[in-house]
Amino acid sequence: MSSHTNHNTNTTNTLSLGTFACAWCGLTVSAYAADGAPRNHCPSCLHSRHVLDHVEGGPSDCEGRMSPIAIAVLRTGDWMVIHRCVRCDELTSNPVCVDDNQLILMRMAVRPLAQPPFPLEAFGTL
Amino acid sequence: MSRNSNSSRRRRRPQRRKDVLHTQGGHRANDFRCTSCRLDVSLDAPGTAHRNHCPNCLASLHVDRKIPGDRDADCRGRMEALGMSVRPDGEWLIIHQCASCGELSANRIAGDDNPLALVRLALRPLADPKAAGRALLTL
Repeated sequence: MSSHTNHNTNTTNTLSLGTFACAWCGLTVSAYAADGAPRNHCPSCLHSRHVLDHVEGGPSDCEGRMSPIAIAVLRTGDWMVIHRCVRCDELTSNPVCVDDNQLILMRMAVRPLAQPPFPLEAFGTL
Repeated sequence: MSRNSNSSRRRRRPQRRKDVLHTQGGHRANDFRCTSCRLDVSLDAPGTAHRNHCPNCLASLHVDRKIPGDRDADCRGRMEALGMSVRPDGEWLIIHQCASCGELSANRIAGDDNPLALVRLALRPLADPKAAGRALLTL
């Protein structure tokens, strides 16, 4: 019983002090943001890791790197980052943290307009 | 839609051949009706072998799982366009989210998709002055 409680306190300690290394840029990131929200992607390069199974819940055994591919907007106006696993092509959406790299976020948001599949001049007349 | 990173750097994988025949006397006639705007849509789309969303309102139906055309999902929910993504070669992908189960999927745009709907979807992150303005101010 005592070992069990020991184990519990250990895990909570490691959770509260937890850090992880980014799978893409190698930055050591604290697992919680400044406002206490749990982090699931690197604030510098926005890459994530496929450790949670989105469909069934619980841990995933893929562990692949997930690269950010798109910005989605909720009805509340908050931004979400859409990640895609480079190993199994699973898509997940995660809320944006306050200290995320705004340059990469903005670059993802405007990237469709940089290479439009049709000329955008016609929209000037609308 | 599955690509590994090696092939994306070298060459795009050719589009998957469709082995389920929805046309030519398949399980349905040559068109389907959009679940969101009720438009009758023909199945042959310019530029793609898999018509998977309505060209007018960009809504889709949750019928496939991993492979286009496998009809393996038992959800059948309506999928709404959530965001726009771009491949490294500049091709646009619509991110759909199932309104019933929340599953996400990425689909290439077709040649006859409504350009106004596509641009409105691509501009959605920038249209909200709160988030976009905060992002620009912190740059």
